[in-house]
Amino acid sequence: MRLKLFIWRQKNATDKGHMEKYQVDDVLEDMSFLEMLDVLNEKLILEGKEPVAFDHDCREGICGACSLTINGIPHGHEKATTTCQLHMRKFKDGDSIYIEPFRAKAFPVIKDLVVDRSAFERIMQAGGFISINTGNAIEANALPISKKNADLAMDAAQCIGCGACVAACPNGAAMLFVSAKVSQFALLPQGQPERKRRVLSMVGQMEKEGFGACTNFYECEAACPKQIPVRFIAMMNRDYLCSRVTEPVEA
Amino acid sequence: MILINYLKSTILSKFVMAVTGVILVLFVIGHCVGNLQVFLGKDAFNSYAYFLQERLGELLLIIRLGLIVAVVFHIITSVRLKFLNLGAKPTKYQVKNYVKARLTSRTMIWTGIMIFAFLTYHILHFTMGVVHPEDYNKTDYYVTNAVSVEKVDNSTLKDTEGSDECCAKGTATTAKESLIKYKGSMYKVEGDEPILSERHDAYAMVISGFQKPLVSILYIIGVIILGFHLNHAIQSAFQTLGYNNPKYFPKIIVGSTIISILLVICYISIPISILLGLVGGRL
Repeated sequence: MRLKLFIWRQKNATDKGHMEKYQVDDVLEDMSFLEMLDVLNEKLILEGKEPVAFDHDCREGICGACSLTINGIPHGHEKATTTCQLHMRKFKDGDSIYIEPFRAKAFPVIKDLVVDRSAFERIMQAGGFISINTGNAIEANALPISKKNADLAMDAAQCIGCGACVAACPNGAAMLFVSAKVSQFALLPQGQPERKRRVLSMVGQMEKEGFGACTNFYECEAACPKQIPVRFIAMMNRDYLCSRVTEPVEA
Repeated sequence: MILINYLKSTILSKFVMAVTGVILVLFVIGHCVGNLQVFLGKDAFNSYAYFLQERLGELLLIIRLGLIVAVVFHIITSVRLKFLNLGAKPTKYQVKNYVKARLTSRTMIWTGIMIFAFLTYHILHFTMGVVHPEDYNKTDYYVTNAVSVEKVDNSTLKDTEGSDECCAKGTATTAKESLIKYKGSMYKVEGDEPILSERHDAYAMVISGFQKPLVSILYIIGVIILGFHLNHAIQSAFQTLGYNNPKYFPKIIVGSTIISILLVICYISIPISILLGLVGGRL
């Protein structure tokens, strides 16, 4: 396969950045998108040029490290697929592909296609956990959980925190991510003691990080490689409103 | 300032958008039903207008104030959210493809601004009579102590049309009732004399207003833009207020489109019928 690539190049956080055109000729259909970039980078290194920086880790679609906005859609046009699991057979020979970093004020570009997603970590630190004394796990049957809630909590827990929702949102909102992280606990009995405090502090941190507001475009749901539904956003809105009126907020 | 403290929270802001939006959508539906009475004729429409303007009393003031507050908060919040959202996405993509966002959802702020401009003109025209005052300053005379009756034997009536007297008296069916002919219609009057009253002629105002093609076209465009806005808005309010159920939400999205299309059809049917001369043609 021969491909024309237009890639965002940016030396560092303060550089203005620009799109640069590359030609890669020896791409195989069975390569993943990241392997295709590896091919490009090897070529660039041999030519003595700076290789393109991009995030990756497990390359099996579960870690949430890979990013990239491919032809205007985070993780590319393939539904429910991370960039690392996107294969070149989904593209045609001679295609032009535009590759840009995940864009949002809260995700500043570090270099080329690598963005700083630590805002998500700070949201998690604000309440994405359950405070529990360590010790043996209790006997499973002692804590009955309905199948419906268990399934829904698992759906929410699918979130790998890649940030595609923020990248896809025209407002740079992190509502899908935060709502998944809030709901996975809100649906289970273990999450109840800290439920109100959790939603208030996680949403509070989200707003401090400079993410936008949700305007119900539902682009996040479409881009999510784990198909987290926007239903969780509605659940979190409800949870947040109830908690705001029943729990005193700390300034 | 405590009133706009909610703006610090994006979710509370969205909540205000949804609640004020729901109030305004309910008004738009009610206003539509009220307006459709233009098809029932002058009497029905003018007595509805009289009911709204005179009979509601303080309630009208409360409703108007409520609507103004809703509009003001809807606008303040949307403008604030728009600037916040623009700031949250400072660098745009060179290439952007949308999957689920539709033209209607991406143009909410612009359709909103256009609706506000249209609303201002609409209120100045039909509520305050500032634009085209010739439409507004019309008076409708009607008989208050009478009921309209149809077939009456004309021979029993002394027709005084054209004379100074407003009404022609007929034979009374009971001792306390008399029949009158007034402006071509028959009325059964309680007592001997008909009591003539005046009211604002809203019917004539609507007809003469919409008989101007430019006014009608502006109105039709305004209403279609409103339909665009509502198409995204109605289902969006459900999502924001926390109602998204996998079974019913797809139906709410379809229902949102159906309601907005129906509202547009109902609203534009009025200027179109008037332009075609189907309503008030002989005015």
